[in-house]
Amino acid sequence: MADRIADIWGARTPHGADSPWPVRVDQYLAEGVPEGEVQWVPSACVLCSNGCGMDIAVHSGQIVGVRGRASDRVSHGRLGPKGLFGWQANNSPDRLTEPLVRRDGELRPASWDEAMGLVVERSRQVLDEHGPLAMGFYNSGQLFLEDYYTLSLLVRAGIGTPHLDGNTRLCTATADFALKETFGTDGDPGSLRDFDLCDTIFAVGHNIAETQTVLWARILDRLHGPDRPRLVVVDPRRTAVAREADVHLPIRNGTNLALLNGIQHELIANDRVDRAFVDAHTVGFDQLAAIVADYPPERVAEICGVPAEDIRAAARILGSADRLVSTCLQGVYQSHQATASACQVNNINLLRGMIGEPGRTVFQMNGQPTAQNTRETGANGDMTALRNWQNPDHVADLARIWNVDPLQIPTWAPPTHVMQIFRHAETGSIRFLWIVGTNPAVSLPELHRIRSILAQENLFVVVSDAFLNETGHLADVVLPAAVWGEKTGTFTNHDRTVHLSVKAVDPPGQARPDMDIFLDYATRMELKDKDGAPLIPWRTPEECFEAFKRVTAGRPCDYSGLSYEKLRGSPGIQWPCNENAPEGTERLYADHQFNTDTDYCEDYGHDLATGAAHERNDHAALRTNGRAILKSTHYLPPHEAPSEEFPLLYTTGRTVYHWHTRTKSRRAPQLNAAAPEMWVELAAGDAERLGVREGDLVRVESARGAIEARAHVSGVREGVVFAPFHYGYWDLPDGGATDGDPTENGATGDGPGGNGRRRAANELTVTEWDPVSHQPLFKVAAVRVEKVADGGGVPSPAPTTTTARPVSGDAPGTSGGDGVRETVEEAREETR
Amino acid sequence: MRVDTAISEVQDAELDLAKQLHRVRERHTAEPDVHHLGNTLAHRCEEHVRRLAPFAERYGAPVREPHVGSPRLLDALRRKSGELLGHSELAGPLLLRDLCDLSLAAHEVEIAWVILGQVAQAVRDRELLQVVTTCHEDTRMCEKWLRTRIKQVAPQVLVAG
Repeated sequence: MADRIADIWGARTPHGADSPWPVRVDQYLAEGVPEGEVQWVPSACVLCSNGCGMDIAVHSGQIVGVRGRASDRVSHGRLGPKGLFGWQANNSPDRLTEPLVRRDGELRPASWDEAMGLVVERSRQVLDEHGPLAMGFYNSGQLFLEDYYTLSLLVRAGIGTPHLDGNTRLCTATADFALKETFGTDGDPGSLRDFDLCDTIFAVGHNIAETQTVLWARILDRLHGPDRPRLVVVDPRRTAVAREADVHLPIRNGTNLALLNGIQHELIANDRVDRAFVDAHTVGFDQLAAIVADYPPERVAEICGVPAEDIRAAARILGSADRLVSTCLQGVYQSHQATASACQVNNINLLRGMIGEPGRTVFQMNGQPTAQNTRETGANGDMTALRNWQNPDHVADLARIWNVDPLQIPTWAPPTHVMQIFRHAETGSIRFLWIVGTNPAVSLPELHRIRSILAQENLFVVVSDAFLNETGHLADVVLPAAVWGEKTGTFTNHDRTVHLSVKAVDPPGQARPDMDIFLDYATRMELKDKDGAPLIPWRTPEECFEAFKRVTAGRPCDYSGLSYEKLRGSPGIQWPCNENAPEGTERLYADHQFNTDTDYCEDYGHDLATGAAHERNDHAALRTNGRAILKSTHYLPPHEAPSEEFPLLYTTGRTVYHWHTRTKSRRAPQLNAAAPEMWVELAAGDAERLGVREGDLVRVESARGAIEARAHVSGVREGVVFAPFHYGYWDLPDGGATDGDPTENGATGDGPGGNGRRRAANELTVTEWDPVSHQPLFKVAAVRVEKVADGGGVPSPAPTTTTARPVSGDAPGTSGGDGVRETVEEAREETR
Repeated sequence: MRVDTAISEVQDAELDLAKQLHRVRERHTAEPDVHHLGNTLAHRCEEHVRRLAPFAERYGAPVREPHVGSPRLLDALRRKSGELLGHSELAGPLLLRDLCDLSLAAHEVEIAWVILGQVAQAVRDRELLQVVTTCHEDTRMCEKWLRTRIKQVAPQVLVAG
């Protein structure tokens, strides 16, 4: 039995590019469960964007464990620590089991009729008095495709407001936009199998080891195999990924674009460009070359704070790769000039002519398990099935399928991003906000502001969730929602693999699936199509899926060849899946024809510097003819730079043991024990200057707020402070029960555990976003740090197993994930 | 030949736009995109004026200098009132009005570049033409950004506001 808290990635099964990734089935059952009596229900993991196929163990009507599915194309049987232990949250005794309604300032239990009646009454009132632009909806990256598609139709065609976004705005909006800018439509071109086949990996701002543990296990098996791929890593922290790198570039946060321009400068200057490919399959090379000419390594070294020689070394590795897989994530997406930088990662593969072929691709990775589906269904800032909101033919086509007047669908401007939705609420023009399965009171930037908006008198807040979190405490109505394992639905991972997750157990109490809640709302609101029939004609997830198949037919994310039957227990099937590709499609753009035709593309593109939206004629003038677009722009310094008052750079991120605001992972004992409390990371040199030792209590302050946490002296870049974003207030004494701002209820600056002590990383982050993807900046802010209390030599609560590995080796190792069975199967042929 | 006039026209229009951008960004501190992009775009205008300086000298146009220095008292006042305005229902209408004014100012710059571009071709000044081409494109992007933002804000202000 393995301890998968201590050994995050599990036993190695090394292999070379010429042999398939071996199968290793990971299983964890609660203690004492009779394995022979367990019923296994096919599903997939919802605790990161990898979406590993798994089976849920059910005994006596309860979820009692999970195991990876050996045949699964994503995981080959593996699960990560969150997948193995996270399911326990489902059984948590503090699940929401009945609706709550605010009466006399208190949230009190109510019937569904009462709660929905109130939601509908308030909706009607707002619609009558102010119209649909006063209605806002903010959802998640955790629901199923069927939930999202129902919501998308309900809001876009039913309510008719552009104010619908997902928290995917915080995680993968930039991936979405970078793919649209370069390739014409959303959808990662590659296959996860490309990691098995490549000879070089370029990881930019992507801490794979903690964000997608099973993917990192996959990569480790190559790195420890006979023909180790070379690895170039860009990250200001010395992550587990960086420790394996051939070249690690720990750049100053906020300078990605300068570095990536510099690398392209080297590729062009040293003639490492596949000119035949670039000439035949791209547009924009001359402009790109003119811009990156301004970024010789010496200049870039100065901007980024890394040696010019290391930049050259990185470019040499990328320039000599034969099978290059590039990948990026939040270090790019949540940083300065996000979309511009993400596009340069696309460009590097295009310059090398490495796309659409085995071992040659670029991954604009996702964070959340079902983020891809918010984008495909249009429950975030996109139009359903990767349609272009600026293209009247696309809108008319959607209106035809939905049987509504095209004018009913708001397409006069891009769908509103969440930061703008909150801004409209702040100024009072949005008066109704429904928040579904997400926790903005901890996850959005500048929390003091977010809490004050949610608490505004003139804003009616509905929250549907499985637990009463910090946001729920500020709501007027709280609706109890069913989660994974308690409902049936599909979702799609970052290499377009679709899984079906089958209902294993009943939801607790009166909790309902989100789709059912939306259907109930649509019925009560009497939302109709243009012939007076119910706007949403489906009642079951499968009927919804069938409707989604019809709306995607002929679009890039074509689901028309899929069915629940085909997906049940399958290894996972990649879209597009249709008549021509009944088993799905492993790689997009194998013919190097991209989705950039003006009539077909999802977006006419943007100016990367300002976010100015191009219009049809601008796009047509590019005469793409199916060629990819090399977008480029100049580096600009971040708006909030370190100053005398706030001399350090601040960045936030994840720890492997937690998910988001810990709604689930805090309730899984092994995960919680591994990372029980907030900490902040300082570089050894900075700690010494500040007189701070490991475990001391420090105060970190920005222009927007302050937090206190124990200091962890780690391998973060000098001058940079790192804070995990997971920790909020609900599990502190009185922390979550305060209906207003926690800082207003208790003393500020209390010692640890005191009421009112602020610890959420987003107290300090800045209200700012990328001009193109509108993804908020969580990785660039200026702060100062001071010591508050001596830790007495007790180490900080940071886990010792990953990036937060202490610089001095005397902390006890993080462990406590015993009881996981890993079964390695003999090598066998790939199924595809 | 009145090349100097065409250069001065561009420089004056750019400096005017820069001034307006600075004002608007200080007035709308609660709109982070306007606040930050306003700064970037204003600096671009000032950069354009600098890039024309050698040509101003070549053609005998008077020297134009972008204003540099610490934020003025008025800016500080505007910023303070911007913070107060941030929560007000008046913020939206004022923003729309300011964006429209900026759009007109940007259009004045744009047409001044068109004129200078014509002049540069007529006098066969390849160097000047190169500068005009790049800067003109920047200005068009500024106009386009304003248009994008106006399209987004107008319905909210005028229908829901």
